[in-house]
Amino acid sequence: MLKVENLTKVYPNGTVALRDVSFEVEDGEFLAVIGLSGSGKSTLMRCINRLIEPTSGRIIWDGTDLTALSPAEMRKMRRQIGMVFQQFNLVKRSSVMTNVLAGRLGYVSPYQSLFNYFSSADHARALKNLERLGLQDKAYVRADSLSGGQQQRVGIARALMQEPKLILADEPVASLDPVLSHSILKYLEQMNKEDGITVLCSLHFLDLVHRYSTRAIGLKEGKIVFQGLPQEIDDTQFKTIFGQEAERVTIL
Amino acid sequence: MNPPSSHSQNALLAAVFSLCIPGAGQLYLRKRERGIGILVGALALAYLINWALANFQMEAIALWLWLVFALFWLWNVFDAYRLARGQTTYDRLGLLLAIVVIYAIGWQVTDINPDRLITRFKDVQVVFKALVYPDLFTQEGGSWRPSENFGDIIGKVVDRPAPDWLVQLGLAQKGALVPTPVLGKMAETVAIGLMATFLAIIFAIPLSFFAAHNIMSRVPGGTVIYYAMRTFLNVVRSVDTIIWGLIIVVWVGLGSFAGTLALTIHSIAALGKLYSEEVEHIDPGPIEAITATGANLLQVIRYAVIPQIVPPFLAYTLLRWDINMRMATVVGFVAGGGIGFFVVETIRKGGYEQYAAALWAVAIVIILVDYVSAKWRARILAGEVKVSAEAPKPFYASLRGLFWLVLGLAVFALCWQLSEIDLRKLLEPSPTFVKVVRDFVAIDLSPETFDTVLKQMLVTIFQALLATTLGGLAAVPFSFLAARNLMGGSALTLVVYYVARSVLNVLRSIEALLYVAIFVFWVGIGPFAGMLALAITTFALIGKLFSEAIENIDPGPTEAIAATGATGLQTIIYAILPQIIPPFVSYLIYQWDINIRIATIVGFAGGGGVGLLLNTYFSMLQYHKAGTVVAMIVVVVAAMDFASAKIRERMV
Ligand SMILES: Nc1ncnc2c1ncn2[C@@H]1O[C@H](COP(=O)(O)OP(=O)(O)O)[C@@H](O)[C@H]1O
Ligand SMILES: [Mg+2]
Repeated sequence: MLKVENLTKVYPNGTVALRDVSFEVEDGEFLAVIGLSGSGKSTLMRCINRLIEPTSGRIIWDGTDLTALSPAEMRKMRRQIGMVFQQFNLVKRSSVMTNVLAGRLGYVSPYQSLFNYFSSADHARALKNLERLGLQDKAYVRADSLSGGQQQRVGIARALMQEPKLILADEPVASLDPVLSHSILKYLEQMNKEDGITVLCSLHFLDLVHRYSTRAIGLKEGKIVFQGLPQEIDDTQFKTIFGQEAERVTIL
Repeated sequence: MNPPSSHSQNALLAAVFSLCIPGAGQLYLRKRERGIGILVGALALAYLINWALANFQMEAIALWLWLVFALFWLWNVFDAYRLARGQTTYDRLGLLLAIVVIYAIGWQVTDINPDRLITRFKDVQVVFKALVYPDLFTQEGGSWRPSENFGDIIGKVVDRPAPDWLVQLGLAQKGALVPTPVLGKMAETVAIGLMATFLAIIFAIPLSFFAAHNIMSRVPGGTVIYYAMRTFLNVVRSVDTIIWGLIIVVWVGLGSFAGTLALTIHSIAALGKLYSEEVEHIDPGPIEAITATGANLLQVIRYAVIPQIVPPFLAYTLLRWDINMRMATVVGFVAGGGIGFFVVETIRKGGYEQYAAALWAVAIVIILVDYVSAKWRARILAGEVKVSAEAPKPFYASLRGLFWLVLGLAVFALCWQLSEIDLRKLLEPSPTFVKVVRDFVAIDLSPETFDTVLKQMLVTIFQALLATTLGGLAAVPFSFLAARNLMGGSALTLVVYYVARSVLNVLRSIEALLYVAIFVFWVGIGPFAGMLALAITTFALIGKLFSEAIENIDPGPTEAIAATGATGLQTIIYAILPQIIPPFVSYLIYQWDINIRIATIVGFAGGGGVGLLLNTYFSMLQYHKAGTVVAMIVVVVAAMDFASAKIRERMV
């Protein structure tokens, strides 16, 4: 279980990106995080695995306070927390295989990995994950020769290599066409339902939230302004989260 | 200032202002840029005329120069008048008058004597003959064999007493003569270029991280280190390799080692800057993603940073290797070692046959290097990744890998030996070194020295200007012959295209410093010879750039004009020229900038200008005066860099 308590993040330039944010995520949930751009979604995701150091507050993951861990302990803990990015963040010039294998770096011996050595078990695992995402025939091509949707699937395969219990997906479909959005989210849904991986996913479109998430939180200017089931987001809720001028749009 | 009451009154006032002080009328009319430009231009022209008359024998044209200057002054009055009345101005007329003065002075100052090209042609005929029949092979008893000169340049096999290891292996008697390969000056040149590139990489990589803003801004106090490192790299880079050679020679003495060091120092700065810019451009996304998997710092560097920087680093290194090989052919002029040193020696002895053969050796090697470097760069940037299905074996485990490793080590050892690397020399500089450095830093700023240096610096600038003009003018018609899209029509024109391209490639492969000797044979020592040598390299470089610009023109307009029924010439004038003139002018300005750098060193081969002065001061051990020259060169080169960048920026 993930418990975020009174999380606040103030950037060095004084921007308050998160103000006293608290919520809980049960194991196996698909939690959507919604809010306008600049509302603090990315900051929240990165505070959970401490890519960004929180200013105050606690993050309890399976009973461990992540904010109290040493950097080395935090690195170990990150193995359980996969991350998927809006810009995919693949190493473009490396092969798909190398990108996927990189998901194992937290497990393997640092010395061997420096020579690009991964065990045959890891190679088999990588191929299995690529197959699961329908990319088995792309294993040995350069990452940047793939389309956006394919690159994001590589990103998911990389996260799966960590055998994570939690996946943080920061706007995983914001750079993709609507059709591809569904395909990516279906994969995440599959990981969530079949493997029981908890998913925290920030999304832009309410339609997608309704369709895939089991619960949602709404952020506005760094504060939680909504917590509840996706169906509970009515017009008033919608305007609180997105502002008075916002209009609902439907995607496919 | 009151708003003008009437046009004519105002115009008269402006004209009177401009009559008193050039540009004043334009300033009064609130054309600030124009006014300042005219004022500065008039002052510069007056200074130049005065300076040229005081320093050079040119009484014959003194009157004419002042007459043109007076016309420029009158034009400025006329310009103010027309400007005030809102009439069209004749900008080009003013520019033309200024240009006439500048070129007339340049002509005299660089001692241009076209008649010598004809009257002394027979002096250079022997050199051309030697170029056509290079002294590399001799016919002896009906069979061709490498000449002695071939041995000096490329290498030969001589009988030498057996080395110890052969004796110990029992393969030779102690003291017995065995055939031993001895490599020539060209091999030494290749070794210097390779070794300098290798050493430069080793130092440039760590330095580049200190000069990368994105990395240093995360380290406490890093910004200070960043600025210090950037400044350091820029200063080192602005001093030419040849000048570094002069300084290094004082430290470690004449020889290949000095040449290697000079090349290394300049390359470290140049590569360090390019590398650091590449580090600054890395995408932070993968770093974040790899960190999020639980990887440690080393793993993040290995998997997110290195894959991003290795290909561009390699590409820049190959480009630098190409430049280093070219510089290695001339660094010997000052530092000793390599083919440059060989050329200096042979010219001193009047050995034009050896000189001509050396030029061919340089051309062949450099064309090869150019080709290999370009090919590899293209491959790296296209970026084929090779990944095998199995976990890759460490590279030393495969036979191929082992082969390359052994070969690489052998080449490295050979280069180390040929470039005479001797680190002890670095620690034991010649006893006078400290004094020399002190002299060098305490530059001589007395008016006499300063005037002498300034005079030669101006000669150098004029040399570069005339060479750019001459080379550029010759390149314009020639570049059309070397443009594939224009010449691809028939088999005959295609042959012309290949010949033109080859001429450009061969000429381009030889550095200006190596050409100077031809013109010294031809027109004698002095700035004229240096200018002609520069004009040749300018012609080759500009010819290549121009022809590529022609090849890159948009075929749309050409098609449209041709469709109107225009002739070939009309098509060129209306569809092609408007597309190529802007890049041409931009290349020419850039080339002038480059030529000033090179003009500062042609003096080392007898090409006159500030390089000659520097050479003299060094050989007379007047290091404080040499320091003045170096400081002047650094300042002028930096100023030109800045000006040329600014002008080109404005043009696009
Ligand atoms: N590195 C940073 N330094 C300063 N301010 C930042 C930084 N990153 C984000 N912010 C600011 O924090 C706020 C939240 O940003 P972010 O978490 O990226 O929002 P979202 O992902 O919802 O678009 C924004 O106002 C943004 O400008
Ligand atoms: Mg965001």
